[in-house]
Amino acid sequence: MTFGVLLLIIVAIAAAGYVLGRQRARNASGGDTRRLHSLTGYHGQSVMLFSAVPALLLLGLWLLLQPMLIENRVAGMIQPGDIPEGGSAELVMSDVRRVADGLDLVVAQGALNESDLAAMRADLTNVRSRLAEVGVAVGSEISPNVFQAAKEYRRLDTRFGTAMTIAVIAVALAGFALSLRRITPEYRARNVSEGFVLTLFIASSLVAILTTFGIVASLLVESVHFFQLYPAKDFFLSLTWNPQFRGGSDLGIWPLLWGTLYVSFVALLFAVPVGLMSAIYLSEYASKRLRSLAKPAIEILAGIPTIVYGLFALVTVGPFLRDYFAQPMGLGSSSSSVMTAGLVMGIMLIPFVSSLSDDIINAVPQSLRDGSYGLGATQSETVRQVILPAALPGIVGAILLAASRAIGETMIVVMGAGAAAKLDINPFEAMTTITVKIVSQLTGDTEFASPETLVAFALGMCLFVFTLGLNIVALYVVRKYREQYE
Amino acid sequence: MNDMRLTEKSVEANDTKISARGVQVYYGDTHAIKDVDVDIADQTVTAFIGPSGCGKSTFLRCLNRMNDTIDVCRVEGNIKLDGDDIYDKRVDPVQLRAKVGMVFQKPNPFPKSIYDNVAYGPRIHGLTRSKAELDEVVEKSLRRAALWNEVKDRLQAPGTGLSGGQQQRLCIARAVATSPEVLLMDEPCSALDPIATAQVEELIDELRSRFAVIIVTHSMQQAARVSQRTAFFHLGNLVEFGETGQIFTNPSDPRTESYITGRIG
Ligand SMILES: Nc1ncnc2c1ncn2[C@@H]1O[C@H](COP(=O)(O)OP(=O)(O)OP(=O)(O)O)[C@@H](O)[C@H]1O
Ligand SMILES: [Mg+2]
Repeated sequence: MTFGVLLLIIVAIAAAGYVLGRQRARNASGGDTRRLHSLTGYHGQSVMLFSAVPALLLLGLWLLLQPMLIENRVAGMIQPGDIPEGGSAELVMSDVRRVADGLDLVVAQGALNESDLAAMRADLTNVRSRLAEVGVAVGSEISPNVFQAAKEYRRLDTRFGTAMTIAVIAVALAGFALSLRRITPEYRARNVSEGFVLTLFIASSLVAILTTFGIVASLLVESVHFFQLYPAKDFFLSLTWNPQFRGGSDLGIWPLLWGTLYVSFVALLFAVPVGLMSAIYLSEYASKRLRSLAKPAIEILAGIPTIVYGLFALVTVGPFLRDYFAQPMGLGSSSSSVMTAGLVMGIMLIPFVSSLSDDIINAVPQSLRDGSYGLGATQSETVRQVILPAALPGIVGAILLAASRAIGETMIVVMGAGAAAKLDINPFEAMTTITVKIVSQLTGDTEFASPETLVAFALGMCLFVFTLGLNIVALYVVRKYREQYE
Repeated sequence: MNDMRLTEKSVEANDTKISARGVQVYYGDTHAIKDVDVDIADQTVTAFIGPSGCGKSTFLRCLNRMNDTIDVCRVEGNIKLDGDDIYDKRVDPVQLRAKVGMVFQKPNPFPKSIYDNVAYGPRIHGLTRSKAELDEVVEKSLRRAALWNEVKDRLQAPGTGLSGGQQQRLCIARAVATSPEVLLMDEPCSALDPIATAQVEELIDELRSRFAVIIVTHSMQQAARVSQRTAFFHLGNLVEFGETGQIFTNPSDPRTESYITGRIG
C-alpha cells in the first residue's frame, strides 16, 4: 500500500471520528445539547485529534527508523571482499539500494514476476543489463552478495511496509474507539481538545528550537575536531590564509573576516541611505498611485536570484569600475574587487531596507504628523525630527536584517570579489569572505578529516557567533529606544 | 465683575481676524461643511459647539489648512486671515500654520523629551537666539499650560510617558510656545480633571489678551465660561453665531435651544 493511500485512510478515519463524535455527543445529551459540558463540535474535534495525531506521529517515526533498521540487517550480508579497492561499505550499500529500486521497476514493468526473481541469481543472469533495460544504471558488475542483499532489502522493505500500514491503522482505530467511548455529557471535551492543541503548539515550537540546537551542536562537534588538528591560537591570531593540499597550511581567520566586514560595510554604505531615502519618498511624498506601482517594482529586486546579481557584478559592474575608477586612479587592475561585490550586494539589499522601513514609517501614527504640521513644520522637518525618531527602532531592525544578509551572502562575493584571501585597505583589490571559503574548503578535494576541510565548520561557527552577536546588539538597541518612546 | 463688562465692550471694538465666506468641505462624496460664513474677532475666545460629527473639527482644520494633509478632503469657499486669502496659491501653508496654531482632539506628544516637545516650534521657526532664551520659553509655556510644577524635575523624560491629561497640557504648551496669532483648540479639556480644566480655562482667558482663540467643546458650561462668542454647528451647517450670552440665554433658532437644553446631541 502506498504512503498516499495510508494518509488518506487516516484522514478518512479522523473525519469519520469528527462526525461520529458530534453525533454521539448529541445522542448522549438526549436531544438537549445544552446539557453537555462542551459544544458537540469539541467532542467531534477531540475524537478527530485522538484518531489522527498519534497515528501520524507513529507514521513519521516509522518512516524515519525503517531505513536504518533494514540497512542494519542487510549490511551483515555484505562480505569485506565485496567492497572494491578504494570504495567504502557505504558506497556498496547505496549500490544495494539502487539495485533494489531497479528490481522494483523491473517487476512493475512486468518483465519478471516475483517467483522468477526469487530464482534469479547474479552469477547466472546478467543483472546489470536487465537493469539497464529499465533505465537503471549500475556502475560496476553486480556481485552475487550484493544481489542477494538487494533481494533481502526488497523483502524486508515490503514486510516492514505492511507492518507499518497495519500498525498505523490500528493506532488510528484505537484512538478513534477510545475517545469515542469516553463521550458523556460531563466529558470536558473542550478542555481536552484545547489541551491537545496546546501540546501540539508546544511540540512545534520545540521542533524549531531543537533544530537550532542541533545545528549548533553539529557545528560545534566538527569545530572541536578542527581545533584538535589545528591550534586555535593560529586560527584566531594568524594574519594569513593559505591552505595547502599536503598539510602545513596557514588557516588564519583574519583575512576572511576582514573581507566579510569590508564587503558588507560597502554594501550597507550603499544600501542604507538609498533604501532609507526611497522609503521616505514612498511613504511620505509619493502619491498613493505611484506608491502602489513603485513599491512592488522595488521589491522585484528582492526576488532576483543572487547568482544573477553575481553575473551582473562579473560582466558589467566589475569591468566598469576597473576601467573608469581603479585604473585611472592607479588603484589596481582587477575587475573583481570589494567595491564590485559591495555595490552589487548593496543593490540587492535596497529592497530589504526600503520595503521594511517603508512599512515601519507608515505605521507611525498620522496624529504625530498632524501635530508637527500643526506647529508649522515643513514636510522634511517633520520627517527628520518626528517620523524618523519614532520609526528608529524598526529601521535599526531593518538595517541589521540587511547586515546579516550581507554577511551571509556568497554568490555575489565569489563572482564580484574573487576568491583571494587578502588583508588590504584598497577597495579595488580582490578579496574574499568567510562564506566563500566555507564553500571552497568543503568542496575541495582534500580528505574530510583534514584541517583544511574541517576549518569550514570553525568558520561557520564564527559566522554564527558573529550574527548572533549582531542580533543581540540589535535587540538591545531596539529595546532601549522602545523604552524611551513608549 | 467689572472685568466682565470691560471684555464685553471690547468684543465689539475688536477687528476681524479671520473671515470665512461660503465654505464647503467634502470628504470624497460626503458633504461635511455646508456653506458656512463666520467672522472670528481678534483677541476674543470663540466657542464652536454642536453634536458629535457635525463638522466642528473639520471646520477648525480648514482655518490652518490642516485638511490639505487628507487626500480625499476638498475645501471650497473663501477664508481670509487679516484680509489675505489663506487658500491663495502664493500662501505657504507651513507659514500659515506657524501663525495659526492648533491643539488636537487627541493628545499627540512627539516621541521626544518633554523639553524637546515644547522647544520643537521655537526651534524650527528660529524664535530664540540662545539656549537660555529657549529654556525661558519652555518654562513659560509649561507654566501657562499648568504643567510646569509636575514636570520641572524631569524635563528630559519622554513626553509619551505622561498621563493622558498631562500629555494634553504638554500639547497646549507646545502650541503656545510657537507664539501663534490664532490658537485653534479641539476639545482641549476632554481628558482633563476639573482642576486642570480650570487652569486651562484660565490660560485661555489669558491668551485672549494676545491671540484669537477658537475652542471646540462639548461642555456648555465651558463654552459659557470661557468664550465671548459662540457658533453652533448642526449636520454641517452653521445654525447660529453670536455673542455667547445671547446664544445661551436667548437663542434665535429652535435647534440651538434644544441642543443647549440637552434635547438633541
Ligand atoms: N478623514 C475623514 N475622512 C472622511 N470623512 C471624515 C473624515 N474626518 C471627518 N469625516 C466626516 O466628517 C464629518 C464631520 O466630522 P468632524 O470630525 O468634523 O466632527 P466633529 O464635529 O468634530 O465631531 P466630534 O465632536 O465627535 O469630534 C463626520 O461625518 C465624519 O464622519
Ligand atoms: Mg472633533
